[in-house]
Amino acid sequence: MLDPIILAQILWTGIATSAPYVLLTAGFALTLKVTSLWNFAQAGLMAIAFYAMFFCLNVLAWPVFAAIGAAVVLTGAAALAVEVWGLQVLRQRRSGNLTFFIFTLILSEFVIYVITLLFGTEPQTLFKSILSPVAIIGNIAVSDWDKLAVATAAAGLAALWLFMTRTREGQFLVAVADNAKLAELYGISAQRAYRVVAVIAALFIVGAMYLVGSHGGIVPNTPMELVLTAVIATLLGGIGRVFAAAAAAVVLALIQSFSILLIASRWQNLLLYGFLFAAILLFPRGVRVPRLRLAGARR
Amino acid sequence: MPLTGAQAGYGNDFVTGMRMAVKDVNDAGGIAGRPVELVTLDTQAEPQLGINAVNRLIGVEKMPMVLVAWSSVVKAVAPICNREKVLEINTGANSPEIATLGDYVYTAFPLAEVDITKLAQYVYQTLGKRRAAVLYINNDTGIDAAKLYRDTFTKAGGQVVAFEAYDPKATEFTGMLLKTRAANPDVVHLHGLTADTPQVIAQMRQLGLTQQITTYSAGYNPKLIEQCGPAAEGLIVTSLAPGVQENANVAPFLERWKKEVGRVPNGLPYVQYQYDMIPLAKALYDHVDKKGQPATGDTLRDALVEIRTFDLPMTGKMVIDGHRVNKPVYLLTVKKGAFVPLATLS
Repeated sequence: MLDPIILAQILWTGIATSAPYVLLTAGFALTLKVTSLWNFAQAGLMAIAFYAMFFCLNVLAWPVFAAIGAAVVLTGAAALAVEVWGLQVLRQRRSGNLTFFIFTLILSEFVIYVITLLFGTEPQTLFKSILSPVAIIGNIAVSDWDKLAVATAAAGLAALWLFMTRTREGQFLVAVADNAKLAELYGISAQRAYRVVAVIAALFIVGAMYLVGSHGGIVPNTPMELVLTAVIATLLGGIGRVFAAAAAAVVLALIQSFSILLIASRWQNLLLYGFLFAAILLFPRGVRVPRLRLAGARR
Repeated sequence: MPLTGAQAGYGNDFVTGMRMAVKDVNDAGGIAGRPVELVTLDTQAEPQLGINAVNRLIGVEKMPMVLVAWSSVVKAVAPICNREKVLEINTGANSPEIATLGDYVYTAFPLAEVDITKLAQYVYQTLGKRRAAVLYINNDTGIDAAKLYRDTFTKAGGQVVAFEAYDPKATEFTGMLLKTRAANPDVVHLHGLTADTPQVIAQMRQLGLTQQITTYSAGYNPKLIEQCGPAAEGLIVTSLAPGVQENANVAPFLERWKKEVGRVPNGLPYVQYQYDMIPLAKALYDHVDKKGQPATGDTLRDALVEIRTFDLPMTGKMVIDGHRVNKPVYLLTVKKGAFVPLATLS
């Protein structure tokens, strides 16, 4: 098992597998950073995104890009609706954190039940075939899905970084995340920032669900499991640190993948819950990697 | 039956098969002139929901007999049926443990020891494979059957070089498959459920594992070929019911199914067994009627043991052998995107 090719294969597949989780975590962590909400409604949005694409592709027989476009519109609209008619109302009422948590969780369950009634509970894939063409590169099997997944996650994170650092809208998000009331004194609309974040998260969710749904079967309840991974990665990365959370998603996937070298595969999923416990108990502010101090650096 | 949840694709077709049989029995006069009514409850293939459903069937509906499928559910409800003296008949689960669940638990479906034993022997003796990997889902369906395959293959003289379980919720199998690749088997037996089996096969082929794959009757599913495409070629599956070529009743049944449902059934052999459960139940009720007895768990169980041999329309002759049934095993393989007969193991 310690063959370098096997290790390299596990590394590559682990990175590729982490791609959808990276996107979901980035959307979840960004929402948490800007709105200070653990927005479990994103599980419902994941279900909407997947089944919108599934319906457009398999029932309406639309081309892929049209199906993705429809999912973006529908998921974005749903995210805005949740923000405007749900979260905003709760903010105006000065509801407590627990109310927000329960509201978003119940909303997801509601969406999942509706989708269950509409589409049933049989595992569905976006495309009839889940087989992706494979190329052998340096003795490592690299599928087209792997390449698409890694490229989508990398492009998504790069676009987010550029948006946050190079645009005024992105800097407004950072300002609202730092101190919403102070930002409003400077004329920045917190409400607008929340809506922008909702739309960005929706975009990430659609990208992730396309990847998940073209790789394996999804049932309406799958998003609840996906959001759990995003929560764990967000906790490990540290609240407010979007890119660290995304990196934590990669690390989690790699640990799960490499764990096969030490434990039986049936225990792999249990690791996630182990990390959740550890993150909550031991790293409530996230895992901080100590910065290297170079000789002669200013103190 | 699981009418919702990941196993609903099979569960709903199971019930459809039974409904067709109920209609046929009722069209032919029912049981002693009384119409048959099918009461179905959703178990989601989950033990706890199965317990709730059986409690309701016994406590509220006052049923003397329940038809149950999925190993974990069959096992979970067995203590209730034994305690309440209600006849439980397994219609589609294959855990070998089902034969030992108690006095009121019987099976009308061959357990894994029938097809898995014969399959493992066929793989060793006829296909000449010597190094097997066994990959299985970590639940009641997979654990017992995987052990049975391992023991049979080893007893035949082969070597099981990898024996790996995966989590029922897993969607990524790369690590397990690479471990399997490193063990260098010449055949891989996969014992999963309909939801995960196509994913494991697809990922296996993508990672360059070109070995012969075998699985059991859960793999006999047209959707698997659709999802796996060329990766399904050469797959060997078992079927415990005669096909179109072996039983003249199957072709008209398939035609009727396509006409009424608009597609082929998920897991045709399983559906054949579900259809046959109604004529079997009718035979039991007729037997107790003839003896002037009330239909209770005890009298129906006695009827099952006394009749013992049933000639059923879709699956043929069935002999109740204690708490087991033995049937021929039909092997099929995927060739040019379709299941074709490979061998019959009696």
